[in-house]
Amino acid sequence: MDQTFQNASCDSLKNIIVTGLGHVTSKECDLAPYLKTPKTRKFMGPQDIMAVAAAGQALKSAGLLDQPLGERAGLFLAVGYIPFEKDDLNLLFEASTDERGFSIKRFTGEGFNAISPLLTFRCLSNMPAFHISVNFDLQGPYFVTYPGPGQLYSALRKACALLAADIINVALVGAVAHQRNFLVEHHFDRIAHPVSRERLMDGAGCLILENAVHAAGRKAPGRGKLLEYGISYHPFDPFEDGESPIASECFTGANPPKGESGPCSLPITLSLAGQGHVRHELESRDGIHAFSVWEMMKLKTVSLSQEWG
Amino acid sequence: MGVVSPIGNTTETFIDNLLAGCSGVGPITLFDASNMPARIAAEVKNIPLSFRDRKIAFALEAAGQAYAASTFCSTLPQGDGGLSIGLGLELFSPEDMAVYRQSGSKLPSSLQERLTFLQTPSDLCVPLIAKRFNLTKPPLIHVSACAAGTDAIGAAFHMVRDGLWQWALAGATDSMINPLGVGGFCKLSALSTSNDRPERASRPFDQNRNGFVLGEGAGMLVLEPLAQSQARGAKIHAEIAGYGNSFDAHGISEPHPEGRGAYQAMRRALDDAGVSADEIDCVNAHGTSTPKNDPVETIAIKRLLGKRAKEVPVCATKAMIGHLISAAGAVEAIAAIGCMEKGWVHPTINLENPDPACDLDYVPQKSRPHKQRYVLSNSFGFGGQNASVLLKAFNGS
Repeated sequence: MDQTFQNASCDSLKNIIVTGLGHVTSKECDLAPYLKTPKTRKFMGPQDIMAVAAAGQALKSAGLLDQPLGERAGLFLAVGYIPFEKDDLNLLFEASTDERGFSIKRFTGEGFNAISPLLTFRCLSNMPAFHISVNFDLQGPYFVTYPGPGQLYSALRKACALLAADIINVALVGAVAHQRNFLVEHHFDRIAHPVSRERLMDGAGCLILENAVHAAGRKAPGRGKLLEYGISYHPFDPFEDGESPIASECFTGANPPKGESGPCSLPITLSLAGQGHVRHELESRDGIHAFSVWEMMKLKTVSLSQEWG
Repeated sequence: MGVVSPIGNTTETFIDNLLAGCSGVGPITLFDASNMPARIAAEVKNIPLSFRDRKIAFALEAAGQAYAASTFCSTLPQGDGGLSIGLGLELFSPEDMAVYRQSGSKLPSSLQERLTFLQTPSDLCVPLIAKRFNLTKPPLIHVSACAAGTDAIGAAFHMVRDGLWQWALAGATDSMINPLGVGGFCKLSALSTSNDRPERASRPFDQNRNGFVLGEGAGMLVLEPLAQSQARGAKIHAEIAGYGNSFDAHGISEPHPEGRGAYQAMRRALDDAGVSADEIDCVNAHGTSTPKNDPVETIAIKRLLGKRAKEVPVCATKAMIGHLISAAGAVEAIAAIGCMEKGWVHPTINLENPDPACDLDYVPQKSRPHKQRYVLSNSFGFGGQNASVLLKAFNGS
């Protein structure tokens, strides 16, 4: 493993404050407080619902829910593998197969008509980002990536870079994964080191990172700081059994959710953490090795003091 | 640069065919689409597929071309490169699904077969490319739909400019010309149904446009610091000068009516470069040939360019190659660079009766000689994600 981390040091992060946290672990979450455009509800699949709920919670805890985020806020989001429910597939295939298997003739005649037009919206990886942007009027830059926890660190790196460069004041750094469905369960069943479907979790988490000057200016609630992080990569041949990395993840100072939550483990765990230092380290199955160290604090108003950078 | 496209699988052929105004659109041959509302697409032809998932095969081919062209004179720094790639939706095989159901949910025994059975994860091409070219920096994967290709180039540009990567393979790949891909877009009524005249179906900014034509392909670029490329004697095609992206925060399938997000993305690309809108010589438009995109993009370009708006050529590559979805921005950036190098602007073919709401100079029908220093290349995604990259002609010094 190449341990040459692409690191961010304390200096480059000293003006970045955690001012909000939110998470959900089920699609059965309360969306009503956050849905500013109710007509979009019909387009939302479970990953969209969870992403908006987690972002809404985080913005609420940061005191940013009741104002448009506008151009000085960015979204940095890791989305899990594309979900597809078994019921939808069954509906499609019962109208698209014959005794010989898949029939393009039946598909174009019947199966195609069995698909709900809304289904297309509900599985797209960029739709959680759309729903967050439209419900919180977020117009700034973005990085929408997929599919694992390693990519969340690339999103975190991008957010910190834009905050440090004063291009944005507020960054929503989050992840969402709808994994309890046929297609994602199938994926984790066939990889080099399979994950049982019982371990797969649905979830979403969101952190609000904020420029210290901006946070102090609005007397924002301070909840913590990112002290350090690093990310490295080791290329591998995905078709060689012995080369595929074994995923592992470790938290100290906080308790992660039990199970496999894809890219969501870090924001969910930080959401649940008490005061103190939290260290996260992971080896992802896509070859990324990353770590971060956070100082989670008792809630207090951000000011331009040494404590807050 | 490396490209796999409906009108050529080398950059030279691709650019020559663009400038000649050749259409890559024809009847769908990859499956029997005879009962679908849209039966036409811009398919990639005449390329051996090294992989079942076409977009992965395209990505490997385009990356290989770009790397070979870049290292013709001398090698790139080993182990200091990164991959930034825009990826389309995962390929789902309905044939495999039928087999899977009939076999009682049995999986193939070998890892390679399992990883490509039923559904191929799009990110499978990331380790394949990274391993082949020894790219050891953490890869950046972009899934911002139609903006993904431009986002991939822009993000790689920032990594190289900021000194975090010594070089980058940047680009995107996509192929949705399969039953579920075409079916999904048909259900949204997004595709042109001008099936009887395929080569005339993609007509950006024309009054008679009626949707986009699905295309497929990949584009990859090698990016590195200017001084490094000069030192090793590499052929330099262009400079990346700036990049910006934005959210519309408006409608799920319709752009902001004033082109707010589109304007912001272009504005941010210029600000990133420290370049004035007065210096723009050409815009490679997103230009989808959909009723909603084209007039809104026109509004945004007018706002950006002000009084010069009608003097600046605006061309739409999709008129010839259709909409490559996640790969569009990467292939269109190569189109813009290739044309800029030759001192020409490619045409927007099929623009016969301009929509009154689209009143810029779209270079209708025929290519035109036009010296360009700065070109904006736009990609505006379904779901309101907008990206723009500013390209600069390399003047040899």
